[in-house]
Amino acid sequence: MKPPILIIIMATIMTGTMIVMLSSHWLLIWIGFEMNMLAIIPILMKKYNPRAMEASTKYFLTQATASMLLMMGVTINLLYSGQWVISKISNPIASIMMTTALTMKLGLSPFHFWVPEVTQGITLMSGMILLTWQKIAPMSILYQISPSINTNLLMLMALTSVLVGGWGGLNQTQLRKIMAYSSIAHMGWMAAIITYNPTMMVLNLTLYILMTLSTFMLFMLNSSTTTLSLSHMWNKFPLITSMILILMLSLGGLPPLSGFIPKWMIIQELTKNNMIIIPTLMAITALLNLYFYLRLTYSTALTMFPSTNNMKMKWQFEYTKKATLLPPLIITSTMLL
Amino acid sequence: MMTYIVFILSIVFVMSFVGFATKPSPIYGGLVLIISGGIGCAIVLNFGGSFLGLMVFLIYLGGMLVVFGYTTAMATEQYPEVWVSNKAVLAAFITGLLSELLTACYILKDDEVEEVLKFNGMGDWVIYDTGDSGFFSEEAMGIAALYSYGTWLVVVTGWSLLIGVLVIMEVTRGN
Repeated sequence: MKPPILIIIMATIMTGTMIVMLSSHWLLIWIGFEMNMLAIIPILMKKYNPRAMEASTKYFLTQATASMLLMMGVTINLLYSGQWVISKISNPIASIMMTTALTMKLGLSPFHFWVPEVTQGITLMSGMILLTWQKIAPMSILYQISPSINTNLLMLMALTSVLVGGWGGLNQTQLRKIMAYSSIAHMGWMAAIITYNPTMMVLNLTLYILMTLSTFMLFMLNSSTTTLSLSHMWNKFPLITSMILILMLSLGGLPPLSGFIPKWMIIQELTKNNMIIIPTLMAITALLNLYFYLRLTYSTALTMFPSTNNMKMKWQFEYTKKATLLPPLIITSTMLL
Repeated sequence: MMTYIVFILSIVFVMSFVGFATKPSPIYGGLVLIISGGIGCAIVLNFGGSFLGLMVFLIYLGGMLVVFGYTTAMATEQYPEVWVSNKAVLAAFITGLLSELLTACYILKDDEVEEVLKFNGMGDWVIYDTGDSGFFSEEAMGIAALYSYGTWLVVVTGWSLLIGVLVIMEVTRGN
């Protein structure tokens, strides 16, 4: 893609999300969502193979349907409150419709089916943008309408998302699908706490974005998209294998690393509100997530599979891929606690 | 009948949506889109927005749909599918029409529907005169306001349309 077009399209993606976050008028929020979706389609289709075309089409259809649902919720809110300002939504039907639309955009269960398929069909860089930047806009709207969200609906969606994210990722060897199921599970954790303490959602979103950015950048350095090619990384970039080790453990939510902070805070907030069974269930099913992260680290950093002698030492070329800001990202994703 | 014209037009609007949602081939989908655009224009006209309704005809039908029709005519096959040529399409079409007719009869029967939202029978679709904006039509005031108070909205929508063009070009370039 020619550089001027790429700059304009990237600027529009950022402008769309900014408009969503900064507007107080529902129509402008909807315009921001549409601008964002329209501009990310050519980014998803960078490769022009049928897989990428199909992925972009699926993404476009689900996001357009979600925007239509959001517009319907906005119109019903207008009918009952007479104004367009984003504030407490007094009508429960409008609130449920908006919540459903925004969870469709995020990829929460039961609307999670597009996430693995779209993430698998696109390049690693586009997948990175899809799983990190595109989550900011719907989350900001959920934050703003959080006093009027129906807790039962969102908690049910969150619980099923954590389950689906854990179980779905168990049988995967493709890294992009693993990251997609990880995204579903993390969105589930975030959605569970919005109605109780939205600040924890922002904390979880920030740490999730930092960790996912680091993970994708490490994958992109090696251009690896399968577990198999990750397992060959030990003689090319031995430093990165140790980074992947601690990063995966951080994503899984193990204590001394910073991936544990959001889980701890969320469980604390939920128990403050007299909910015992749900945080227990969520913590138990987060173990499923931890299993497939550990499987990745096992094959990458902890095991050297039997190989022929001429594969044991590769030519140590200097690598020319730029890893922007990678060291600070890794440090913040793992050392914050 | 003229008091219920908006109600009747809305029902035919939804039926034409069913028609192009079960698109048998793009050219017939475009045909029904023309009809639904015309009916939408009539609905806007009945609410007093003469300028905007005629804008729909001029720009939407006369500009965009004509270009769509020409490009589809260049890309279409010799015997395009019709609604009656494929059983699945025909079934979907009839299902949509029947659901719409059933909804309309449900509204007409009781003269008041409280399914999800409270529709006050015919009241919400009847034309009535409200508001006192003096001798100026409300919709002309709205359009004037778009260019004075709503400058940011014009900038944003203009940029979105430009991005739409760039995105379409980029997607169809296909290396």
